[in-house]
Amino acid sequence: MTEKGPAVVGVGRTKFGEHYERDPEHLVEEAGLVALRSVDVEREDLDACFFADYFLPITNKIGLEEGFLSELLELNIPMEITRSFSSALSNACNAVQAGKYSLVLVGGMEKMTDRWDKIRDDLMLLEDPWSYYAGGTPESNHELMLRSYMKTHRLHDNERNLLMLTLAELSVRNHENALKNEFAQFQRKISVDMVLGSRRKLRRPLGLYDFAPVSDGASALILSDSDSANSYTQKPVSILGYSLATDYITFPSRRDLTGFLSSRLAMKGALEASSVGLNDISVLQIYDQSTFVGLVTLEDLGFYGKGEAWKSVQENYISSEGCYEINGEKLFINVNGGLKADGNPLGATGGAQVFEVFKQLRREAGERQIKADALKNGCVHELEGFGTKAYVFLLGMD
Amino acid sequence: MSSEPIEHRVSHIGDRLRGSRCELCGKEYFKLKDYCGACGRESFGKMKNIDFFYEEGTLETCTLVDKPTNKFTRLGPYIYGLVSFHDGSVRFPGRLTDKIIANDEDVDFEDLEGRNVVPRFRRRHAVDSSGIVPTITLAFTFADEYYPYHERKIAKPSKEYERPGIVGYGAYTSRFRIKEGAIERSIPFFDEDAITAAVEAGKFGLINSEIDHRLVSKVYVGSESNPYAVKPIASKVAQVLNLGEEEHKEGLQCVDAVDTEFACKAATSMFKDAASLVFYPESKKSYTMVIGTDNSQAAPRGEPGGELDFFVGYGACAFIFGMYDVIAQFEGWISITSDTPDFWRRDLQPYPSHGGRFTGKPAYFKHVTKVVQKLMEKLSLKPQDITYFVAHQPNAAFPTRVAKALGFREEQFEPGLLVKKFGNTYSGCSPIGLAAVLDVAEPDDRILLASYGSGAGADAYSFIATKQLKESQNRQRFTVAHQAENEFLQYVDYGTYRRLKEGLSSI
Repeated sequence: MTEKGPAVVGVGRTKFGEHYERDPEHLVEEAGLVALRSVDVEREDLDACFFADYFLPITNKIGLEEGFLSELLELNIPMEITRSFSSALSNACNAVQAGKYSLVLVGGMEKMTDRWDKIRDDLMLLEDPWSYYAGGTPESNHELMLRSYMKTHRLHDNERNLLMLTLAELSVRNHENALKNEFAQFQRKISVDMVLGSRRKLRRPLGLYDFAPVSDGASALILSDSDSANSYTQKPVSILGYSLATDYITFPSRRDLTGFLSSRLAMKGALEASSVGLNDISVLQIYDQSTFVGLVTLEDLGFYGKGEAWKSVQENYISSEGCYEINGEKLFINVNGGLKADGNPLGATGGAQVFEVFKQLRREAGERQIKADALKNGCVHELEGFGTKAYVFLLGMD
Repeated sequence: MSSEPIEHRVSHIGDRLRGSRCELCGKEYFKLKDYCGACGRESFGKMKNIDFFYEEGTLETCTLVDKPTNKFTRLGPYIYGLVSFHDGSVRFPGRLTDKIIANDEDVDFEDLEGRNVVPRFRRRHAVDSSGIVPTITLAFTFADEYYPYHERKIAKPSKEYERPGIVGYGAYTSRFRIKEGAIERSIPFFDEDAITAAVEAGKFGLINSEIDHRLVSKVYVGSESNPYAVKPIASKVAQVLNLGEEEHKEGLQCVDAVDTEFACKAATSMFKDAASLVFYPESKKSYTMVIGTDNSQAAPRGEPGGELDFFVGYGACAFIFGMYDVIAQFEGWISITSDTPDFWRRDLQPYPSHGGRFTGKPAYFKHVTKVVQKLMEKLSLKPQDITYFVAHQPNAAFPTRVAKALGFREEQFEPGLLVKKFGNTYSGCSPIGLAAVLDVAEPDDRILLASYGSGAGADAYSFIATKQLKESQNRQRFTVAHQAENEFLQYVDYGTYRRLKEGLSSI
């Protein structure tokens, strides 16, 4: 990586949730326009577009996404489609870094509720086909990993109860954070009792409030090469390092069932690619498809040792400040509500994560602005499938 | 719509739980791999195909699926988890089958995890009624319950016989029962059908006989409830049980496989053909397998033909024939046929119709009586020369009446009368009776089998048990008696019974 990586100069997003009345075109348009306007860039200024979606041709029968976008944007520039927003951003970074393009639109969207009746089958077939054939669901791998975690780390009954309570607290906290996020799917306070009540120990280890919802939404950002970033904004947010890693599609075939190897490798790669250390991260967005994956991700990213997060997360939380104190440093996690409360429209989710870090670092997050004297760097962690791919981006301002 | 190539590939791997083992380092993989990740390029050509079909696994962790994906809805709620083999070297996702979980029932995963499980060949999930029936062996049951683990051994043949005979057999009925009055009947679980029962019976036949499956030259499957109107059950049996030499590269089995149909005698009719084939000079080293299997069909009560709903069962039975290590030799056989439409099912009709009162005297009794009399005449036998008499059993009354009329006493026909336990398993019916008798017979006992198939015809066979029957009995753990009565049977009400019987037949 050169001294300064590409920079995010503008961001935009829609509210996540159920957009019954809106078509994909208008969601993409809304997110894209916000991003373009924020830096006063015209469509014609763009060199290329990297766009992310998992299911649009299936959920909305829009055909080849590139053509759909070309028609929507009235542009004939190079366009590439990937699945996750992070994947689009990673490709955009590679291209900008290589000097191929200098100004790029990165976008993502998903319209999952348009296929509400079949989306769980689609998700599971994408996540782990052999587990699907055996009867697995998008929820079951999370629960199996939770049980593997409890057994591998030999948690006793009361320790397990504490872990389950901690997970409930994580969900409550996500919802609380989302109260101040006008884009969030759920702006609704929930209680620990509601989370516990949605589970049933002898049937459903994790309940409705432990899982991210199915969502519609779009997000976008404008990525510039580092040299011209300042011509678009006074406060560009640079990508200091990024990395990704891949793991087996068949979850039962993986060696470690208590976390994601892909997350560990991606974090390692991103840290190595930058001069950022773990302790230099103040704002963290983790891909908490479930409360448990959120917890385990804190271990995978290195904030806790393996099998440690469950007992420390709760005591490390400083409720007055809304942050965690880990290794003597303050860490703000999922201040937008995370996937649980902000929503998880697959292709757009990573965009919302970058959006949040961008706003926080620039101190433009309004009501939910982190109140800390010094905000160091931000970190975005995104997954594809059940840890099949992991992406980590480290972002910072001069 | 089913995608044929995808179904073919998924079931090719999944039906037998195929995997690979690196001969350099011993590392094992689920699915077929051309090389070992640890050994790299050196391992090309050094990977051995293995499968876990006959292995015993451990349920490592599990959870409950309350809200399955669409195609699995009919199966839910169910326990789902990770099953490991060979001390954790290979792990599979798996669904626990043969378990009905009530909506308000608690499940303590701690009680289930760590227990040993047996892979079960089942339907994978529901599919449109015009689609390919998807199957898989990523379904499991606990080894300490109804269906115990059986080690699959292959023994070298020790003794050649002058005449062909039965060298092994396996009967399969499911864990579920409905009990009404004096009769209990076996019912398939949601994911079972005539195909899965045929595979189970064949599997037990191979385990019982300890023959080399590669030496099986032909498999016959008789059924009247094949989920397909066109597409044999036998081809599935051949693939799952790995019959004949396997051409690994092309995924072909060097075996002949065919389905037969003649109401309830579709299987017994082929016994003589299967025996004759192994007696043919060129193929004396080979074996043949005949399976009778049915998820016996009946219209619901109150609809035309619904009378059958009081009697239909579910089960299959396989017999392996050969010249080596025979446990029961053929003494003679005879068949008769007439065009008597006492029971039929027209194409595209889901349930059979029958001739009411005329299914008795001019049909069952006339044919069974005649075929037994003719065989006894041919072999100069009197009732007292016969140790066990087994007749087709559409209900308890018919075989009892016909046995008594032919001069047999209760101790001769009761041991083979299983209809009170399993119901009428159609093509599997008299074969299961024969299996029950072989479970308990002594060397030199004479067994007379008389099948009956509507339409109509009957086959009679006389078998003489050999000394080697004792060895076979010692190997048999899943006996008919075990299946007829044990603490793990699950009894269900009529509503559940109908749902189970319909199974995954359509979405």
